[in-house]
Amino acid sequence: MPQRSYNDVSDQQVVVFAQEGREDAYRELIKRYERPVFSLIYRMVRDNETAEDLAQETFIKVLNNIDRYRPEFKFSSWLFKIANNITIDHLRRRQVDTVSIEGAPDAVTAERARATAVTVTSGGESPLEELESRELGASIEKAIARLRPEYRACIILRHVEDYSYDEIAEIVKLPLGTVKTYIHRARQELRQYLGDLR
Amino acid sequence: MIEHDFDEDFVPIAAELQRLPYMSPSRDFADRVISRIDRLQSARVAPVVASRHLELHQGGQQAVAPRRPMSVARATGKAVAGVALLATAAFLFFEVDILTAILSGAAAQYSLAIAAVGAQVGSMVLGAETIAYLQAGAIQALVLYLTLVVGLVGGYSAIRTAAHIAKRKAA
Repeated sequence: MPQRSYNDVSDQQVVVFAQEGREDAYRELIKRYERPVFSLIYRMVRDNETAEDLAQETFIKVLNNIDRYRPEFKFSSWLFKIANNITIDHLRRRQVDTVSIEGAPDAVTAERARATAVTVTSGGESPLEELESRELGASIEKAIARLRPEYRACIILRHVEDYSYDEIAEIVKLPLGTVKTYIHRARQELRQYLGDLR
Repeated sequence: MIEHDFDEDFVPIAAELQRLPYMSPSRDFADRVISRIDRLQSARVAPVVASRHLELHQGGQQAVAPRRPMSVARATGKAVAGVALLATAAFLFFEVDILTAILSGAAAQYSLAIAAVGAQVGSMVLGAETIAYLQAGAIQALVLYLTLVVGLVGGYSAIRTAAHIAKRKAA
């Protein structure tokens, strides 16, 4: 089957091609969302290996059930919903409620702690700007890492992924009021943590 | 861009959140996911079954596909061909002429009986004209077949005769 370009093709249309069994359509969906999904999961579990395993599990689950996708919803919302469920389930199993910015809580060696510590990169700036940006970015990452996982998911979906409150409520399977409360509290805590860090 | 629904002091934090970079999983992430998509894997297995003989040449690792059951017509054809080969070999190398003659006679009688019954049934179902047309074709095929047989037997006899003459002369 010839490869086709999906540059101007919507998610819904790519999903239709995937439902027909086209491998290039599956690859396109992975290409579009592997980084956002991996980033969301990584910021919640703070461990590269675990984040990759959970992201992989998310895509396998979603793509193996692609026939169940309902086009009236955004594909990305469905994908993030599965990613959030899988990550929250993992955190509940591991009872990891808080994470250390110095590394994952289950890091037993210094090397492992370094590997799981928060690092932030950016590009296209002067060395000074890059340093400032890295410092600010690292501060934000540190502050996010101190939030409860539920707050983390909501604040990332709201401010990183630009989802509406309604969409976030659908993704995290919580009432709209609860989502608004979580985001309000997360903002307060971020303000407080960033004030402490500065 | 989302609408501002927060205090002014959160604006710089919101801007920083929006600037957070995406992180990438490992390079073979997509391949690992694809390798576990059931539908794609089952689609990949199908051509392997079709190329069973090729896989045998390539080491036999994929040659696990079950054989298809042989049809009755195919089995009958193979049996007839086998018997014909055996009879030919017996006739050529062991000179079992009597046995061959008996087998040939029996086969001929059997063929004639089938042909007679078939013609009767055929004329009832297909009509006399169609059967006549088919019989004409069948006679042509029979003549061709007999020509081939006569040619083969005659050629073989000529070779044997020539060999005998050469042997006598040499003696």
